[in-house]
Amino acid sequence: MTSHAGARLLALPPSAVLGRPAETLADVDATLEPDAVWLLGPEREARAFARTRREFDTPAFHPPLETNDGPVSRQALGAGLEVAVVRSIRALRASPADVSRALSDTRSSSTPIAVVCDDVTTTTRPTALETTLEGAAELAAALPTGRVTAVLTGGLPADYDELWHLEAETGAVRAVEHEPQLECEPAGDDCVSVRVRGVGPVEGYGGSASLAVLELDETGVTTVDTSDTSNFGLEAVTGIGPKTAKRLADSEVTTRAELLETPIDELADYPGVGRDGARRMHRHATVLETNEPRRLTGESLPGEGGRPPLCLDIETDGLSPTILWQIGVYDPVDDSYRAFVERDDPDDPAPVLESFCDWLFASHPDRALLTWNGWRFDYRHLGSFVTRHVPYYADEWESVPKFDLYDWAVREGHALLPGRTNRLDDVAGALGYEGGGTGLDGAQTAAAYQRFVRTGEELDWDRHEAYCEDDCRALWHVYDRLRGAPRAADPSDTSPADADGATPTGTSGGEQTGLGDF
Amino acid sequence: MNTDDTADEDAIGPADGNRGDVPITGDELLETFPRYRDDEDVSVLEIPGREASTVPNDEVLRPELAGPLEQDLYAHQAEALAALERDENVCVATSTSSGKTRIYALEIARNVLEARARGERSTAYVLYPTKALSRDQERELNDFFEQLGLDISVRVYDGDTDPGETRRQIREEADVIISNFAGVNTYLHDHDRWARFLSSCELVVIDESHTYTGVHGMHVAWVLRRLKRVLEYYGADPQFALTSATIGNPGEHSSALIDEPVTVVDEDGSPAGPRELVLWNPPARARADGADSDSTTTGGSEDEADDAVVDRVPASVEAPKLLSHLCYHDAQTLLFTPSRKLSELSIRRASTHRRDRSRYYTNPDRGSEIEPYHAGHSRTKRHGTEHRLKTGALDGVASTNALELGINVGEMDATVQLGYPGQRQSFWQQIGRAGRGTKRALSVLVAGHRTLDQYVANNPDYLLETDVEDAVVDVDNDAVFARHLLCAADELALEEADTGAFAGRERLEGAVEMWRRAGRLAGHLETGVSYVGPPRPQGSISLYATSGEEYVVELADGVDERHDPEMEPLAEERVLRDFHEGAIRLHEGQQYEVVGVDHDSPRPTVTLRPTDADCYTRTRTDVTVLDAVPEESREIGDFALHFGRGRVLVYHGTYDRVDVDSGDPKEQGIPTENPPLSIETQLCWLEVPDRVERALVERYREFSLEDEDGDGDGNEPAATAHLGYAGGLHAAEHATIGVAPLELMVDKRDLGGLATLSIDSHLERERGENGTTGERAPRNVAAAEATVREIADGLEHEPKSGWFIYDGIDGGLGFSRAIYENFEAVAERARELIADCDCGRVDGCPACVMDDQCGNDNQPLHREAAVDVLDRLLGNEDREALEAPAETEPGGDRRPPLFYS
Repeated sequence: MTSHAGARLLALPPSAVLGRPAETLADVDATLEPDAVWLLGPEREARAFARTRREFDTPAFHPPLETNDGPVSRQALGAGLEVAVVRSIRALRASPADVSRALSDTRSSSTPIAVVCDDVTTTTRPTALETTLEGAAELAAALPTGRVTAVLTGGLPADYDELWHLEAETGAVRAVEHEPQLECEPAGDDCVSVRVRGVGPVEGYGGSASLAVLELDETGVTTVDTSDTSNFGLEAVTGIGPKTAKRLADSEVTTRAELLETPIDELADYPGVGRDGARRMHRHATVLETNEPRRLTGESLPGEGGRPPLCLDIETDGLSPTILWQIGVYDPVDDSYRAFVERDDPDDPAPVLESFCDWLFASHPDRALLTWNGWRFDYRHLGSFVTRHVPYYADEWESVPKFDLYDWAVREGHALLPGRTNRLDDVAGALGYEGGGTGLDGAQTAAAYQRFVRTGEELDWDRHEAYCEDDCRALWHVYDRLRGAPRAADPSDTSPADADGATPTGTSGGEQTGLGDF
Repeated sequence: MNTDDTADEDAIGPADGNRGDVPITGDELLETFPRYRDDEDVSVLEIPGREASTVPNDEVLRPELAGPLEQDLYAHQAEALAALERDENVCVATSTSSGKTRIYALEIARNVLEARARGERSTAYVLYPTKALSRDQERELNDFFEQLGLDISVRVYDGDTDPGETRRQIREEADVIISNFAGVNTYLHDHDRWARFLSSCELVVIDESHTYTGVHGMHVAWVLRRLKRVLEYYGADPQFALTSATIGNPGEHSSALIDEPVTVVDEDGSPAGPRELVLWNPPARARADGADSDSTTTGGSEDEADDAVVDRVPASVEAPKLLSHLCYHDAQTLLFTPSRKLSELSIRRASTHRRDRSRYYTNPDRGSEIEPYHAGHSRTKRHGTEHRLKTGALDGVASTNALELGINVGEMDATVQLGYPGQRQSFWQQIGRAGRGTKRALSVLVAGHRTLDQYVANNPDYLLETDVEDAVVDVDNDAVFARHLLCAADELALEEADTGAFAGRERLEGAVEMWRRAGRLAGHLETGVSYVGPPRPQGSISLYATSGEEYVVELADGVDERHDPEMEPLAEERVLRDFHEGAIRLHEGQQYEVVGVDHDSPRPTVTLRPTDADCYTRTRTDVTVLDAVPEESREIGDFALHFGRGRVLVYHGTYDRVDVDSGDPKEQGIPTENPPLSIETQLCWLEVPDRVERALVERYREFSLEDEDGDGDGNEPAATAHLGYAGGLHAAEHATIGVAPLELMVDKRDLGGLATLSIDSHLERERGENGTTGERAPRNVAAAEATVREIADGLEHEPKSGWFIYDGIDGGLGFSRAIYENFEAVAERARELIADCDCGRVDGCPACVMDDQCGNDNQPLHREAAVDVLDRLLGNEDREALEAPAETEPGGDRRPPLFYS
């Protein structure tokens, strides 16, 4: 993690704390370096809170147990930033004035940058085609009018970010803005505007991401990143789940370093491990400890041996795209980057595809393509769009050799990669890639492009192109490091990782579930 | 297998043409059956036969197809093929074995030949309701194409298909893919993998389409709408061919399913011999032999636990005797039983009957090859039985409705039905199994004790009326729509183009906004809305529930798997009512006790254990209706009928254990530990005019209840002048719900009702000044009832009385709307049922107005008052006949706000 000027808040549910070895939590603490830890309510979990306070080396708070100053308390996050912690909606209802006061307290050096309340959540009633905000009336009574107040809640997943405009008198919903990351303005002086952001677990393929890391500065939350406790400590190692981690901890093996000191024969005797599993644990632990990738099989890298592949990445207007508005290609042979971007006519998906295909088939008829998780996203949509919009290129597109480095390494189990998650930026970062730091993700570029289509408001094109280029170059960095990695020493050990441990790090399964995921 | 079997499912002509004319007639059956019977218990109806109407093949088909076909096309086959040629969608609603499969098989062949001539491909997606039918039809279609000398590959692709390479190969190569709707729902997620198949798709076949009604039907309708979006994306615009049993509204039903106009072909051109239909009410059982009653025979189906005072031999005992008897007389016979267990048991009882009457059946081996058939048997065993039936090696089979849908077993001489199958549509489909070409056929219906059975037995004309039930499928349920919208957005971005095509603008925008606020969708309709929630929303669609919350039924640990009831997943509403912990359910003839219910896990479950108890359980239910808002209204005479939406609070709070034999409660008021259930649903309600009410209150003011139920639950019928009239409303409410299945393909278990003296207090009120706060809805039934009484007390005018009928499923099913539209027909049946019942009791019997789901323990009920109400509604009596007292006398007793569910 890079050093930060603001504060970093780690939010985690009680389940992520209970039942985990202390060393896993220590690894979370050491890796994420939070300035404060928020153990999510709304259920009162005293045991989990005690454990949190013991295992984390930073101030911790648990809203249901924050009773010092009445219904609202102020929690310092570091860097002079504070949040107002509300015990519950009930507490808010009982004394809205306390919250108003806490938010406008001038005695303090700063006003809180957000309100924390874990039972703020949404309730959907499909029979009425209606989603309501629990606590809307209470928030309207307590929060100031005419400006936007951020409310953070563990009651919603960490990808939730909506701006609710509430009537000050009643809490009735006036409107909801869906892209506060693009535009976040109050709706009027008689209106309470609440930007509700989730910090709770996000469900994905192969489990949920239960940890949320919030970067905050004086403007509020700048980014929310997620991962899972299983990405830390021993559990980050392939083949070690909570049960095995517990058994190992009983034998005082609690860190990856200790794991590496434990002989393979000994590890193999643990239930369900076996020799192959033990060897793989050792290898993966080594990869994670050294940040050196390791190839597990004698299998060539996709495209290895010929000219290196072209590294490809696409940007779309959503997970179910209607246009592939940017196609970026990095050519490692001459270190050049080429972007095909639709800036003029977003209603027509064909031109950008056509110029990409013209260029590809004319200039690089013999080159293979490389992507990160392309089978589930880039190739899937390119194939479908080429067939529909430039059908005369369909056969040629079909015949281009296409490789998916993620698929090869993770799903097929040919290599072990470092990094806390399988996201390209995590893996590349662990392998020493220093990105451009555009601060964007796929979801943001999609939303920005949609706004361009709707309103004509131009994107910061350079920034969005830099984002795409960064991914292409990061992909090449990973490929290049894998190319130089040692192959499996033991030729008999060519079996790909077995199904249950197929993914060395957290986000398993691999289907793209969010535009920021890969 | 009979590999040279050239007949497809519906081919004409007997599999073996050697049998003589009908081996036994209806009259002969009556003469020969060994036991005295009362003439009044049996009626024999004659249904005339029908000549074949055919069209020469070469008038309809190209020579390659016309040539190899051995028989000419029936007129309806030709008509359907002509309509398909005109690019129309068709629904073929003709009898069993009338050659419906052949229509779409020939259309597929035609499409493939034409496409190949152009150097292109043509594919077809063929969807069956069951996996068993899919496998059967895969064989039939492959055989048929082989017979035509065509290289068309037909493959099944469903949950049983090997994953990986096999699936890829089928998607890439098959011309015809057979699947089911659960499969389509799942596979749409990966439509890019199906691009080749979908982009060439020219025909979608929906076989047995009449089975898609109720909750399941509306899911199917939405899966089809999603499929159509994806097909359109790939440039395909296929036609739809639906095949249906005879139903009342094939065109309307098909159009509702596929959201396109449909041409109905229902003039059956296949030949049929004359048929004798014997309605057989079993003889009275000698009072003394009550001991011989068998606990497994008291309930025909899973949910019918009769507590009637039974004095006839049960159908489950009588029907196997008829099976045995008919087989003895050389008639190959199919017995339809309502459960797997009864199909097994019937075989035993058939042979017991032979032995018991050995003096009569002198040759014990004659016609004794009889076997059971049901989905619990292995596939191999079932195929063996099907084959042996087809070739005549079997004399008879006792089957569940597994043989009702189109599996090819050839044609029988006779059918016997153990109990009325509940629907005319199903009744005709089953008896259609008998009839070899134009020879005479015999069908016997053995009536059970249930309301519907006795109605049919006493009203033989009912079966012969031309009307068949309407199939109800409804796409207005927003809960179901909203779930499929998430899937649609996951499959392809939702766009402007979806307004109108997928849903009306207001509804689409409303649902998108709802899901955006919930963080499940992102983007705008102008530019594309994508799904951003947890992966694979298709996986959360339950095709049998509206909320997506469905409960998987599991066996308790350690119970032998062969006891697995293999039940469909259950909707939450049914779990709360029928599958609370401690409930004893009869499913396919086996008793199960619910030993656990997990409401909270991500995968809710109901755990069962087989049991053998001498009791069943009956849930006590408190219901009230709140905030009903009329959307449509009409007048029937001076009655007002409304349809609309509202909230129904249902609390299945306690249950009773009831003795199977006596129907007496053994233990009462056991708590279910259930949470209360609040559903937003569709309702219809009838308002009785003041004049009628006043007259009937007056007429029945002497009515009172014996004070035997002092259970102190606060809702005892108070002694009041209104009680008799209220009992009439309550009885009429039970009866209208009870007979609804006679007119409509609705499931009574999905309907509920509430009779009330104060309809107005169940309607939505004008919003008060502080009416906008979030928590205005009472959280439990007691509070809701208190609210209703409070509103009643506060009303400034005298409220209307009447009764509500509601859909018992969140969001509604379209059932109460169908009842709204067909109310007169339903009321007419209800009146007949009550008036004609010979129970002779004021408060009726389980065959007329008592209902074992009644939340008020069937009190008060008043048959005569109910008939009076219905007569006024139907205009059966002169206005003068009823002398209404003058307007409410000032200071007269205010009516109590009574209501009964």
